[in-house]
Amino acid sequence: MSVVESPATRPAAPAPIRPAASKKRKSDKTPWLLAIPALVLLAGLLGYPLVRMVVLSFQNMRLRELLSGATPPWVGFDNYTKVLTDSVFWGVTGRTVAFTIVSVLISVVLGLSIALLMRRVTRGVRLFMVVAMMFVWALPQLVAAQIFRWMTDSDFGVVNYLIDKIPGVDYANHSWFVNPWQGWSVITTLVVWAGIPFLAITLNAGLTQVPKELLEAATMDGATPWQSLRNIILPILKPLITIVTTLSVIWNFGLFTQAWVLRDGHPEPSFQTLATYSYTQAFGQSRYSLGSAIAVITVILMLGVMVFYIRQMFKIGEVE
Amino acid sequence: MKRKIAVAAALAATLLAAACGSNEDSPTTSASGKVDGAGKTLKVWLMVDAQTAWKDVVDNASKRFTEATGAQVNVEYQQWANHLTKLDATLAGTDVPDVIELGNSEFPKYVFSGGFAAINPADYENSGTWLAGLKGACDFEGKTYCVPYYAGARLLIYRTDLFKEAGLAAPKTYDDFLAAAEKIQTAKKSDPKFGAVYMPGQYWYAAMSWVKSTGGDIAKQDGDKWVGQLSQPASIEGLQRWVDMVKKYSKADPTKNENEQAGIFAQGTSAMFYGNAWEQGSAEEVKKDPNDENSPLVPTKVKGKLATAAMPEIPSFLGGSNLGVAEKSQNKELAAQWIKAFTDSQSMDGLIKANALPNSTALLDKAAAANPALAPAAQAAKDSWFTPNAEKWADVEKGAVLQTMLTDILTGKKSVADGAKWADDQINATLNES
Amino acid sequence: MVAVAPVMKKRRAKSADDGVLTVGRSKAGTIAANTAGILFSIFMLFPVYWVLNTAFKPANEVLSLEPTLLPKNPTFDNFLSAFKAPLFLENMLNGVIITLLAVAGALVVGFLAALSIARFKFYGRKSIILVILVVQLIPFISLLIPLFLMLQQAKLTNSLIGVSITYLVLILPYTVWTLRGFISGIPRELDEAALIDGCTRAQVFWRIILPLTGPGLVATSVYGFIQAWNEFIIINTLNSPDKQNLMAWLLQNQTTRGTAWGPLMAGAIITSIPVVIFFLIIQRNIATGLTAGAVKG
Repeated sequence: MSVVESPATRPAAPAPIRPAASKKRKSDKTPWLLAIPALVLLAGLLGYPLVRMVVLSFQNMRLRELLSGATPPWVGFDNYTKVLTDSVFWGVTGRTVAFTIVSVLISVVLGLSIALLMRRVTRGVRLFMVVAMMFVWALPQLVAAQIFRWMTDSDFGVVNYLIDKIPGVDYANHSWFVNPWQGWSVITTLVVWAGIPFLAITLNAGLTQVPKELLEAATMDGATPWQSLRNIILPILKPLITIVTTLSVIWNFGLFTQAWVLRDGHPEPSFQTLATYSYTQAFGQSRYSLGSAIAVITVILMLGVMVFYIRQMFKIGEVE
Repeated sequence: MKRKIAVAAALAATLLAAACGSNEDSPTTSASGKVDGAGKTLKVWLMVDAQTAWKDVVDNASKRFTEATGAQVNVEYQQWANHLTKLDATLAGTDVPDVIELGNSEFPKYVFSGGFAAINPADYENSGTWLAGLKGACDFEGKTYCVPYYAGARLLIYRTDLFKEAGLAAPKTYDDFLAAAEKIQTAKKSDPKFGAVYMPGQYWYAAMSWVKSTGGDIAKQDGDKWVGQLSQPASIEGLQRWVDMVKKYSKADPTKNENEQAGIFAQGTSAMFYGNAWEQGSAEEVKKDPNDENSPLVPTKVKGKLATAAMPEIPSFLGGSNLGVAEKSQNKELAAQWIKAFTDSQSMDGLIKANALPNSTALLDKAAAANPALAPAAQAAKDSWFTPNAEKWADVEKGAVLQTMLTDILTGKKSVADGAKWADDQINATLNES
Repeated sequence: MVAVAPVMKKRRAKSADDGVLTVGRSKAGTIAANTAGILFSIFMLFPVYWVLNTAFKPANEVLSLEPTLLPKNPTFDNFLSAFKAPLFLENMLNGVIITLLAVAGALVVGFLAALSIARFKFYGRKSIILVILVVQLIPFISLLIPLFLMLQQAKLTNSLIGVSITYLVLILPYTVWTLRGFISGIPRELDEAALIDGCTRAQVFWRIILPLTGPGLVATSVYGFIQAWNEFIIINTLNSPDKQNLMAWLLQNQTTRGTAWGPLMAGAIITSIPVVIFFLIIQRNIATGLTAGAVKG
């Protein structure tokens, strides 16, 4: 059995043998007993707060209610109408979606290219690549973001210093966050840079499962490398690519730390994402209910992607 | 005997409040008389400035407090970056700090939301002459909810060597200031990194001081509504005045705020900046080890070349902090006693030595006499302004409204008029939100 | 027979790993590929190098308009400064305790749940799988306020226990899901044979399933460790500075008087070291672990 196995190549699994021993288990309480601790913890620390969050989004909780502990007044759908009719919210949503699409596209394409490259280089170089990526992968998100903030600092940053060295280019004191396009390219670079190790190493592991004989035969038959990639490698990798892509979408859609740290804890309107926007509304402006409503909407917006992910994962979980 | 009366009075006040059915009117916390705090520990939240600049004053006040009441003191120092988020979370619970320091512009929100207990100003030294900019943040519906702690006024900090080279003296008028900037800028034309004035783009305390200088304002109360004033002609004029100056003489990052200005100024690529009195010291010397308060100081490139002067014709923002007793505190009277010790004349003398302005106008002249370095700041504090005393003002600050406006104007994304109009809309929406 | 999965799996992956893609293989191509690979690695490592460079510079070289590519007067001062900084050691210890509690708890609880959904057919199994998958996708930040209010009522704020439980739950769904993958990699026939041989179910668990899931447990715990060690938003809101971890320390180590970049970068390095070491030790397992959990059935 292989690490990465696509349903397509998997031989039709023989129907599991069910001896008497396993039949007896059917009415058994053991599986529930085993699952109960996990379920209780999840219900208590995720389920209950989740319900409270939804409830909160139908109330109007401000600092006064937070401090006094009084039940906030009920306001029905007021928070939702307020959010959904606010052009700022839609701007933030559009930006978050655009960032997600661009950053995931770049990450996955680059990740796959690096994975392919890793199959092509000699062993020493591959080891160097793996070690380099391991270091990046291991860096905590907060640390990575702080490094990028330091490197792109307008006064002391090394990026400006190096670019300024190019003859005819004046990048001294250049501020990367004046122009949102430039600012977002810094954030995207950070996210892609930090995301590539996971993608490349995972996809590389997947590539090791592509039967060598198949590729040799294809080359023999005169297939170009591009054809081999399209017709052999990609179909085999497809389930893996689907999963890493959906995971990247979910992670990047929830972008918080990078934007937060690079903008020094107070992202300007053009650097807000749904996550930072909800957080600033709730904790910065004490609009806890409005922040909750934004969080609920964010989760709903993500449902589409989540359903896709869950279906894929469910298929896998179902098999046994 | 005295104590019994105090207890009786407090009881009566409680009963009265209960009888009137008002829960808003909690009794005023008294700091007079003796409180027995033996076995108790008072929890105090101060901002990090106290730790870095006048920890001895804190320790001394705590010592005197412990001698008088028998209670211990546990001081926790907070960072400015995230202290409000933490405060919200903590105040929502039951185990709250007894004494809390907040920036004066942050106080109204918490006072309006019932976070602090009312105090009796007469219990505190110098309460008759408290600085208006600090005390304003404590007042709500005829009661006082916090005690002014210290203040800072902003000044012009300039390079004496460059001024001398150019044959200039400290500017006496705003035109002098511009002329000095022009002359030094011209003399340093060959250095592309040099800007006569270091003024980061999101330094809104500075920009708003310029707005005040032409008679403008941020927001005004009209009946029970707040109205943003930035797009009024007088404000536009001041804003334009600031923008013109920054565009012409500053090479600073338009997306940075003033937090790092001393360190950047110390690189020697500028002749003037606008800051608190203590920032002169931060620019001239840095601690070898920033995490060690006893670390030796290392001189920077501008060591011994700096002097301060009042920024001519520009009224200063009166920054500073106040101290309040948490409404949920179990030790209100002890808390009030500690604040009393920490804001008395003896403590204020300590603050003056540490280059902070005392909390009272009566002490300003004393401060100027005792600490010459503080004289220009004491002078500037007399002509100062303060942010709108609106419940939700802190939300405007947290929402980075003014910072965004300034960056947008400086980078040409918006005209001064458009930026001001946008900021007014944001301010109106935030301050008047129910 | 489908082999004793985890062990064999690794060996096979290794042997395949030695092969080079045969597609378009030529000497010039290899040189080009090697060059690209090295350039890519340098690009990836540059920020890492820059932190090290900054951390070994004395303060006046850190804040310099002309940064040098190597420290002129290399120094350990920044590291000493970080260690001497208020709360650094306390926060480091807190981080270790919280992380260990959370990971250990998640492994125990998660393993049982994984066993349940991987080895039993029962009514409600699908719902449990669905719950496990859905909760992984909820942005935890949005739950901060209700979470805080709840822990406050239970008197668990400002305590290491409260954060540990929260982190346990944070990494639990992933743990269950990944372990489920590993457990189902062990052929059912093995436990059934053992049962027929007279083993009790507990013995099957101790003698067969647990040892064979070993590598899976390692990979899963590493991922959990990293998640718990790196978290800072929740702990920053729930606990006061003396009860926080190193990440929160890093976030807070900025004063109004400017960021002390040298000690901050030194602190960042110290904070990252345990994670890097863990990563390097299990680097062979990690890709296997992640994909096995995510992809294979």
